[in-house]
Amino acid sequence: MNAIFPLFVVWPLATGTLLFLVRKRSALQESLSTLALLVNLILAVALLSATADGTIFVHRMGLWPFPYAIVLAADRLTATMLCLSSSIVGTCAVFARSYLTDAQRKEAFHPLLHFLLMGIQGCFITGDLFNLFVFFEVMLMATYALLGFYYNLDQLEMAFKYTCLNLIASAFFLLGVSLLYAQVGTVNMADLAEKIKLLGPTPLIVVTALVFVFVFSVKAAIFPMHLWLPSAHSISPTPISAILAGVLVKVGIYSIIRCATLIFPAAFLILQPGLIALCLCTIAMGALGALPQTSLKRILAYSTINQLGYIAFGIALLSQAGLAAAVFYIVGHAYLKSAMLLGAGLNQKLTGTVDLDEMGGMMGKAPFASLLMLVGFLSLAGFPPFAGFFAKLFVLQAGFSQGAILATGIALGFGVISLYYNFTTYQRYAWGTGGGEVGAASAGLYGSFAFLSAFAVVFGLGAYWLFEWAQLVAAQLTRPELYIAAMRDLG
Amino acid sequence: MIWILAMIIGVLVTVASYLIMQRRIIQVVLGMAVLSHATNLMIVASGWVGDGKAPIVPKEGGPLDPFAYVDPLPQAMVLTAIVISFAVTAFLLVLAFFTYRKFQTDDIDEIRRLRG
Repeated sequence: MNAIFPLFVVWPLATGTLLFLVRKRSALQESLSTLALLVNLILAVALLSATADGTIFVHRMGLWPFPYAIVLAADRLTATMLCLSSSIVGTCAVFARSYLTDAQRKEAFHPLLHFLLMGIQGCFITGDLFNLFVFFEVMLMATYALLGFYYNLDQLEMAFKYTCLNLIASAFFLLGVSLLYAQVGTVNMADLAEKIKLLGPTPLIVVTALVFVFVFSVKAAIFPMHLWLPSAHSISPTPISAILAGVLVKVGIYSIIRCATLIFPAAFLILQPGLIALCLCTIAMGALGALPQTSLKRILAYSTINQLGYIAFGIALLSQAGLAAAVFYIVGHAYLKSAMLLGAGLNQKLTGTVDLDEMGGMMGKAPFASLLMLVGFLSLAGFPPFAGFFAKLFVLQAGFSQGAILATGIALGFGVISLYYNFTTYQRYAWGTGGGEVGAASAGLYGSFAFLSAFAVVFGLGAYWLFEWAQLVAAQLTRPELYIAAMRDLG
Repeated sequence: MIWILAMIIGVLVTVASYLIMQRRIIQVVLGMAVLSHATNLMIVASGWVGDGKAPIVPKEGGPLDPFAYVDPLPQAMVLTAIVISFAVTAFLLVLAFFTYRKFQTDDIDEIRRLRG
């Protein structure tokens, strides 16, 4: 396995290049893309089963000794995130086959998708802070191109804003790296963890941690850096929105987890009250922002902000229970939210609009699609027995058992608002008046939507097993010395 | 020496912040480019040690004082950062060009008004 898992970067790079070479033959390009993503998913599942016993795989690029080599590392969290990203990107590619016409897809869609996957997977498997920056840029470059994909007015303006915001974040990322390097002289995460522990939480280390919190909260849309998300997620082409909401924001969350558990645990303890306040603001902004919206995709985007607040809250509790809840929430939310956005795309195909008032009364017109949407909205609202309920339950349970009564109470209170907006949205969607004839949609659209929605039910009914896995992940995360030892042993 | 670098970084960040807050797209793009140069200098500065001799071992070898030499690793990292910022700036210029062609203006307020 140690030799195989750099494939998570090499494979999408190779397939992306190949797909670009066959860009003139769109049928071939599509089939190859699906096949390549399937192979990628199989690799990810193999890695997941190999890390289940707690092994941490480490690969040193160029076989240099420990602190000098650029390392790739994979523990349980990495394997979980890889499975999640490759299955969601794969499903979205299948959805795009039926959703986008040849002209809409242009030649670049599938190659860009694979380069995006390369960046995402690179972020998950790297064990080196500067390398993380490089993979962030690979991922963002593909995102920029996919966001402005049709060059229409809305997309161009939004892509420009998104690019500028992320460039500023990248500048701060480099600032953080240089601040760290000036203090401890390394960028290897395990080495950093050890040296920062020796140094203790000096004021400069705390400031550096804060810089990284800012950088990753731009990607993870944590208040006050959440403003870009609604327009980016609602204007981009739907399969891309699904990947953005399901996977891309999780890259930010993943990096925050690594900072909080491995690199700066002591500094995060000092920052904890502020972080919890930011998470509560994120929850509030998402819940309140969703209320006045009429576009289905915008409501889903605000709900993403809302849910990211809960995930970040779980992490900010800085305990094993909180982390386990956050991991459960990440997995549940990733599948659910990309399913919902594919659902929004399906409805757009059926009715030609994403505006709820123009849709209206879908229950009578497209019962199967409405039923799948019902599963999604019930899960988003946190209704048993779906995954969304257990995710919220575990986060709140972790908060209350840790004695953070006030903060957890506020989070619970905003859960009521999210219940309200999810129900009214579904009511307008399924039983509202207005709306015209409904067209037809192909089986590929229904199939990929139903496939991702099924996870909401599976993770709900099988919450016990997923939570057990999440606890295993958290147990590994709360013992960073295991991660460091794994890198040293090979060093 | 390090204080000269610090002052240059400060000036660059000031210039970049001013440009980014302007209304014309091209000024924003230039601001981004200047900002990335400021952070690149910051990385170079992070490897500055002591009196900053070039990290080249003399031919005759002998005992060396590690605190006399500049750390070369940040200089390798800064190359990567420069290439990335170059690529992103090029992309941003293309985006600015397309935006200009579509909207026939490069004023951000005007673009917002046209979008409605």
